[in-house]
Amino acid sequence: MEKKLMKGCEAIGEAAICAGARLFFGYPITPQNEIPEYLSSRMPQVGGTFVQAESEVAASNMLYGASGAGKRVITSSSSPGISLMGEALSYMAGAELPAVIVSIMRAGPGLGGILPSQSDYFQATKGGGHGDYRVMVLAPETVQEAVDHTIKAFDYADKYRNPVIILADGILGQMMEPVTFPEPVRPEDLPEKPWATTGAKGRERNIVNSLYLNPDVLEERNWQLVKKYEAMREDVEFDTYHLDDEVDVMIVAYGTVARIARTAVDTMREQGMRVGLFRPVTVYPFPSDALAEAADKAGAVLTSELSTGQMLEDVKAAIAGKRPVEFFGRVGGNLMAPEEIVEQVTALMERQGRSVA
Amino acid sequence: MSAVTTSSQHAEFEPLEALTRPVVILVGHAGSGKSEIAVNLAVRLTALGRRATLIDLDLIKPYFRSRIVRDALGDAGIEVVVPGGEMVYADIPIVCPEVRGHIGVARGGREGGRWGTEAERPTLLIDAGGNDNGARVLGSLAEVIDPNLTDLLFVVNISRPFADDSEALSRMVTDIENASGLKVTGLVSNTHLMDETTPEIIEKGLEASRALSRSSGVPLRFCGVPHNLFPLPSNKGEALGCPVLVVERYILPPHVQRKAGFRRALAL
Repeated sequence: MEKKLMKGCEAIGEAAICAGARLFFGYPITPQNEIPEYLSSRMPQVGGTFVQAESEVAASNMLYGASGAGKRVITSSSSPGISLMGEALSYMAGAELPAVIVSIMRAGPGLGGILPSQSDYFQATKGGGHGDYRVMVLAPETVQEAVDHTIKAFDYADKYRNPVIILADGILGQMMEPVTFPEPVRPEDLPEKPWATTGAKGRERNIVNSLYLNPDVLEERNWQLVKKYEAMREDVEFDTYHLDDEVDVMIVAYGTVARIARTAVDTMREQGMRVGLFRPVTVYPFPSDALAEAADKAGAVLTSELSTGQMLEDVKAAIAGKRPVEFFGRVGGNLMAPEEIVEQVTALMERQGRSVA
Repeated sequence: MSAVTTSSQHAEFEPLEALTRPVVILVGHAGSGKSEIAVNLAVRLTALGRRATLIDLDLIKPYFRSRIVRDALGDAGIEVVVPGGEMVYADIPIVCPEVRGHIGVARGGREGGRWGTEAERPTLLIDAGGNDNGARVLGSLAEVIDPNLTDLLFVVNISRPFADDSEALSRMVTDIENASGLKVTGLVSNTHLMDETTPEIIEKGLEASRALSRSSGVPLRFCGVPHNLFPLPSNKGEALGCPVLVVERYILPPHVQRKAGFRRALAL
């Protein structure tokens, strides 16, 4: 297929159609409006349905309903909007409903600003809604990866009967890159969902619910869900750049920051500095084992994010004190330039008493 | 500011020769390259020793607007008109009062001979937002925009979704004309795939722009060619049969090192 030049948001929209989704429910918010805008044009062309709901609360509960009926369904929003979807997210996890939620992060807290950030890492990976639940979270770095992750997200959602979040900063949502799409899946060719509420004629009724009044039954259910969340580890994904040999500093970053760090690593490598990059691709489940192993070959670790230090906690937990872990973040909608990462790494090496080439 | 470095390479295909009206407005599909073309035209005018003022009138997209390079343009002597204070970061429909003033001054310069020489007369470049939604703001400026003194350039990139066939292009021209109350006076062929652009992609886009020109009767004014592909290997530019604007990428994502393009174009 011929390559198209697409914004991350548009590409995510087209990828959802490729994955066989024919239902989008959402509510506008910058910087992800290009997803609903794109799908409002495309869904009718493929026999799908686009609904601009009255709020994010409504949209996310429409997701619950459509998913319960066995359909592939997607929504998208940005920071405050995802907060409003937290309740439905918890209900979907509780009722074991697959759905794809695209979170295009802008700067917070509160209304914040419309510029890019990664400060909803906690919201995506640690909860967002109530109760003991987890959702798988994929963090693309390029527009092509946003396409690939969106398609995979639908498969993971069905595999684990659980919501999956695509977590990207506003830059990735807004930037344009050439992309290709795989052969689209026809919705009618997707595997049956025997648990879905598709009409009980000739079979036992299927119930989609998350209400368990009996504490023993609910406790049992919680532990069953934990087993499922642990099983997600088999789909952990990460990426490394210049980490085959020992390095003085290993940068850990995801999404757009990983990309900025790559440019910084190239610059530093040209100067003879021993620096590499570890990029978590799934941020839940977090690639803790792989990161700990990579840290064994690194003198020190620099975590860089567009937050005041969120993924940092997962990095520290994985490395468990074996190596010094330092942090460099920009927030408020500001981004770091590649040169700033070079400065931070250089300063860290000096503090560690390592020669800077 | 020092000498021009690139002008001699393609002086005979100078796209600015075709832009004689004091107000130049860029319209087109979202993501077709209006902002990048607007910034490139401003830099090109400056490189040729002419004056340029750029109005970022994009009320549609929140990021990657021409205003993000306003400091670099300011250093090059190009005034960029954007909403003041923190509103420069907003994505709400603000038309600052200076916009009307600038359009009036540009008209006066033409009509009243206010500027001593052509070189002193600034060309006013207006970067409108994408699609007919983005062009609608121009309708609100109807009382100050004089169609006889204005070029409305429609930027074409057939690599973009919803912009890849002749019907979609013609429909967008009509929609933009209806929304803005102005007629498109020129086409700009700007088909590319960012870093993956090839001469074939440019030529295919040029064909589509020519077809649109034939069906609409609107002349093709120039073709954008990325600086790293200029001159095109097959024809060194001339055989393209239209002026070429050598396009630098100024509006870049954060992982790309900045400033190289400005240095190249202006020898800053």
